[in-house]
Amino acid sequence: MSKLAYEVAIVGSGLAGIAAACKLAEYGVKVVVMDENIHIGGQFLRRCPTTRKASFTDVMDLMRKKGFKLITLAKEKNVAIMNRTKVLAISDQNELLVEDNEKKISTIRPQIILLATGARERFLPFKGWTLPGVFSTGAIQSLVKSFGVLPSREIFVGGSGPFLFTVAWELLQQRGRVMSIIEQKHLMDSLPPSGLLFFNASRFLQSACQIARIVFARVPVRYATKIVEARGRYRLEQVVTSKVDRLGRAVPGTEKIYSSEALAVGHGFTPNIELAQVAGCEIESDTTKGGWVVRVDQTLETSVENVFAAGEITGIGGAPKSLNEGNIAALSILRRLGKEVEKSVFSRHQKKRERLLCFARYFNSLHMSSDEIIKAIPDETLICRCENVTIKEINMAIQQGHNTLGALRKALRIGMGNCQGRICTPIVRDLIHIHAKATKEEDNEILPASTRIPVKPLAIKSLLD
Amino acid sequence: MLPHTADTVIIGGGVIGASIAYYLSKKKVRAVLLEQGELVSGTSSACGGLIFLQSKKTGAHLALALESKKRFAGLNEELGAEIEYRNEGGLIIVEKEEELQSIDCHIAREKKLGLEVSFLDRQEARELEPCLSENFVAAVHCPLDGQVNPIYLSLAFLEAAKRSGVKVFPLTRVTDIGLGEGRVESVITCRGKIATPIIINAAGVNAPDVGKMVKTKIPIIPRRGQVVVTETGPQLLKRGLISAKYLEVKQAAGLGEAQEAGTSAEQTMSGNFLLGATREFVGFDKRTTWKAMKTIVYRATQLIPGLKDLHIIRTFAGLRPYTPDGLPILGKVTGIDGLIIAAGHEGDGICLAPITGELIADLVTEGRTDFELGDFALDRFEEKRDGRLED
Amino acid sequence: MAGLRISPIPKKDKVRLVVNGREVVACRGESVLAALIASGYVKLRIAPGSGEGRGAFCGMGVCYDCLVTINGRPNERACMAQVEDGMEIAIDE
Repeated sequence: MSKLAYEVAIVGSGLAGIAAACKLAEYGVKVVVMDENIHIGGQFLRRCPTTRKASFTDVMDLMRKKGFKLITLAKEKNVAIMNRTKVLAISDQNELLVEDNEKKISTIRPQIILLATGARERFLPFKGWTLPGVFSTGAIQSLVKSFGVLPSREIFVGGSGPFLFTVAWELLQQRGRVMSIIEQKHLMDSLPPSGLLFFNASRFLQSACQIARIVFARVPVRYATKIVEARGRYRLEQVVTSKVDRLGRAVPGTEKIYSSEALAVGHGFTPNIELAQVAGCEIESDTTKGGWVVRVDQTLETSVENVFAAGEITGIGGAPKSLNEGNIAALSILRRLGKEVEKSVFSRHQKKRERLLCFARYFNSLHMSSDEIIKAIPDETLICRCENVTIKEINMAIQQGHNTLGALRKALRIGMGNCQGRICTPIVRDLIHIHAKATKEEDNEILPASTRIPVKPLAIKSLLD
Repeated sequence: MLPHTADTVIIGGGVIGASIAYYLSKKKVRAVLLEQGELVSGTSSACGGLIFLQSKKTGAHLALALESKKRFAGLNEELGAEIEYRNEGGLIIVEKEEELQSIDCHIAREKKLGLEVSFLDRQEARELEPCLSENFVAAVHCPLDGQVNPIYLSLAFLEAAKRSGVKVFPLTRVTDIGLGEGRVESVITCRGKIATPIIINAAGVNAPDVGKMVKTKIPIIPRRGQVVVTETGPQLLKRGLISAKYLEVKQAAGLGEAQEAGTSAEQTMSGNFLLGATREFVGFDKRTTWKAMKTIVYRATQLIPGLKDLHIIRTFAGLRPYTPDGLPILGKVTGIDGLIIAAGHEGDGICLAPITGELIADLVTEGRTDFELGDFALDRFEEKRDGRLED
Repeated sequence: MAGLRISPIPKKDKVRLVVNGREVVACRGESVLAALIASGYVKLRIAPGSGEGRGAFCGMGVCYDCLVTINGRPNERACMAQVEDGMEIAIDE
């Protein structure tokens, strides 16, 4: 068991984590950054060493450039980096239990912990979404960007939100063929309010460049269209789509069938709060932030002393918010460690954060599925992929009074499988909420199910070695 | 809406309260069940599913368990719900030579009471359960032991009770009990008052709080038991098993800390393993600890090496309602007419739930039971046989 | 199935894996999942409950649908494991 004297341990090496690490290292703080992935940088900063090519739009992407600079800087400043490292638990003495890249278990006891565990995707399930060949947009992005591998030469992209376009653009950049982009929202509902355009011009310009590339490649973009079904015997063969009306209900007679071997789906993001839960941090529910988020104060400290949180886990907001919060958290941690920090720097970041949070609300609204579209999911659709529970079973159980996540877990085993509910919980939460609205009990806060150690499955072999 | 009156009010929505509700509903009693949290959210949702007879204290405890066991076979059908009951037998694994003597005595006493148990050497035990290692000396097999899904059992009792007219109210905390002339008159809750002549305290680890409302001391203390859950694995273990050490700690009186509480292991119908256990006095802290997880897994893999290929996906901890002598508290509360207690089953609540429900229902409707409950009376803990707190 | 790699594997980065007894060439540093997909292995396991075929879904260590056996260790996430020369991988076929 190694007990290196780190002053700060950061969980997650995305923009928030890496930005905080750099800032702390600048002040001579001993920092370790841990990440479960093979490459550090999180979802946003993926880059394949063998296939990288700079293009016009890539150069436009200032945020990514900044991020890669930070990774280089972190290495120069001797930030300790542990990739392929799972944090399994945080004890009440703020001690972290980790499994490293050699599957060895050790403990780290820093003075301060920064949780920057990011977000995962959320999905609106459809028939056949468990077929091999149906991937999350994030999975496709990671395959293409980190490893230079396409899931198939032709890829169908569908779901909701701007990330669909980002992934499609990245596929095109890497010589993949995007068959079509299917966006369930209506075009009019996707346009940003003009006030936001002004403050986030670079972001919209970047989106515009991506869309221009997509149009140039003659990729059909279909708004107000949803994926109805994925079909295939052993793996994906066909994708069925349908037009939807303004409420999200399928328009009869508009079904179309496409042949496809790979489908990328995504319907927005939800924070990875599980480690924070185990650390004892208070969680709050806010749909405009992407669901359950870790509650933080102005300095980004959680309800647990000396545990800070930054980035997507305090509310989905994209790369600029993560970068900003990484900096704020670092400044707060420096203060806690007794270092001199200029007040003006702190307040400048704070002001910026407020602007970014406004943008985040709009961003999250792009991903929200209407109640009608959720209600239209057919009965036999699997919701819990691990325990094979259908939407019909869940709705019936909710109606019988199992109207909390804890109760549904007991009644149906939903969320008791390997993923511990990480994939199905957002949609189950929506189902509970829809039922609560119908029965006029919507004021009851829906709480996440409890999380216990180990936060991620742990091989017994590792534990015994 | 909470009713204004009820024939009987049950406090506690765990397996014991649920079973009582079910057996009362069979007798057409207009009962109301109140649970402060969610239904089946306490001890009954955080335990294993072993129905072990050979782990009971020889005497009234075992006799009670034998009666309870008889009722399990028909429950699936009776309750109209899958409770994953299986009667494949169970094993006590003797890991050390020095444990043999006390196990011999235990078996002899059990046989005397008519329990069918047989002593197996290592080879015989491994023929029954080929997944076992060589790291033990002998085993005791009881064909009557079985397993059930404790959550499904509790929910099935509640659903069946509801179908027969029992009103069930989760998120309804009892704040006080109204007394008049030495008998119960009402239950006061956060949602209103219910007038009732009979109140059943089936609040498990929270039973002492209910006792305080009527100035009665109930010596139940929460004892944390941690359980490790693995991912679903191949069918390895047909029966439930506990180690001799587990039995020893379970049956030992006194408040000794027991992180080393021996091993329990079972494989559920879905293929997950539930591995235990600890017996810790840490108040109402339901968190699980890294140390316990490690100890539990280490001990379990000593007996079942095949577990090494699996992942731990979760841990949980339940607060077992411990009593000083290891027996539950069942029966009328002396001095307060209409007050009945059914709590303190520690780790035997699942096994004893059916008989507890039936006996308490008899007590409510007939005022007496066929099974002698004297050994389980609350006043066994009072020297002066005076159950009142002095304050 | 060739052609799923955006650019060929540089000679110095070639590593060999064994998937269900068959040799597969992979690129040093990549994930086991990337190597499997590049070699046409999309279905990776049979789900215990339903008997359905499953493959990688989330690709970032969350969903546990890409479980494979790596060097005798069952149920490892292909998306989070890194290829090593001589690695033996077993998938459900």
